[in-house]
Amino acid sequence: MECAKVLDYYGVPWEYEPTTFVLERDDEGRVIEAFKPDFYLPEQDLYVEVTVMKQSLVTRKNRKLRKLRERYPDVRVKLFYKRDIERLAERYRLQLAS
Amino acid sequence: MYLTHEELQTRVRELGSQIARDYEGREPVLVAPLKASVVFLADLSRAIAIPHGIDFLELASYAASADTGGQAQIRLLKDLDAEIADRHVIVVEDVVDTGLTLNYLCKTLTLRDPASLAAVTLLDRPYRRLVEDLPVRYVGFTVPDELFVGYGFDLEERYRNLRDLHVLRGSSGST
Repeated sequence: MECAKVLDYYGVPWEYEPTTFVLERDDEGRVIEAFKPDFYLPEQDLYVEVTVMKQSLVTRKNRKLRKLRERYPDVRVKLFYKRDIERLAERYRLQLAS
Repeated sequence: MYLTHEELQTRVRELGSQIARDYEGREPVLVAPLKASVVFLADLSRAIAIPHGIDFLELASYAASADTGGQAQIRLLKDLDAEIADRHVIVVEDVVDTGLTLNYLCKTLTLRDPASLAAVTLLDRPYRRLVEDLPVRYVGFTVPDELFVGYGFDLEERYRNLRDLHVLRGSSGST
């Protein structure tokens, strides 16, 4: 994955999808909505969700992020656009798989 | 156009005055990663009316050999010319966004035991930060999520010489 490659390039430790956050449960306590951010950066204590710029996808992910922040106010999470990763890679001519 | 030459110069002079006040009697060294920050560094240095040094480094990727498993890793293509132990170091950045580059630089420079380490950036995109704990003490302009050319910023090595700062429109790089 491009993001992993960029993080490795900058020497930033990461974990891939280490945590699932429960967002909604039904009346019986069954999980009906959850969110698993793509990366966790332990040095930053930060979760990162990577997305493409497609508006419908961004809107959906932003909604999940808002929910996550409401239910887990101590958790730091950021949405990171794929184009940002490509921009970073381009800056140092890092070859990424398409 | 996003910022005129005059707007850039005014802000750079303000930053220079502020740095001169903060570092009075300490003779800091300005460390600039090549290449985009060179124009900013040249103006900033002349706006800092106290004795100070300048030095450069350059970051590059490398195509790793099969021996290293083909993993690209950031590294210094050009290191500093002078020792920075016990010096007051100010990293001069063109732009800070994710903070990944500056984070790497700070980690690398901290290992050399500077007396202090701070950063000045011409442009800042704090809303894109992945690494928060950075010593960005001086900011020229907080800017939107656009690509810029001019005043040291390039598109495929062109336009660095433009006096003003321009927004690059379109993802294909057309202006």
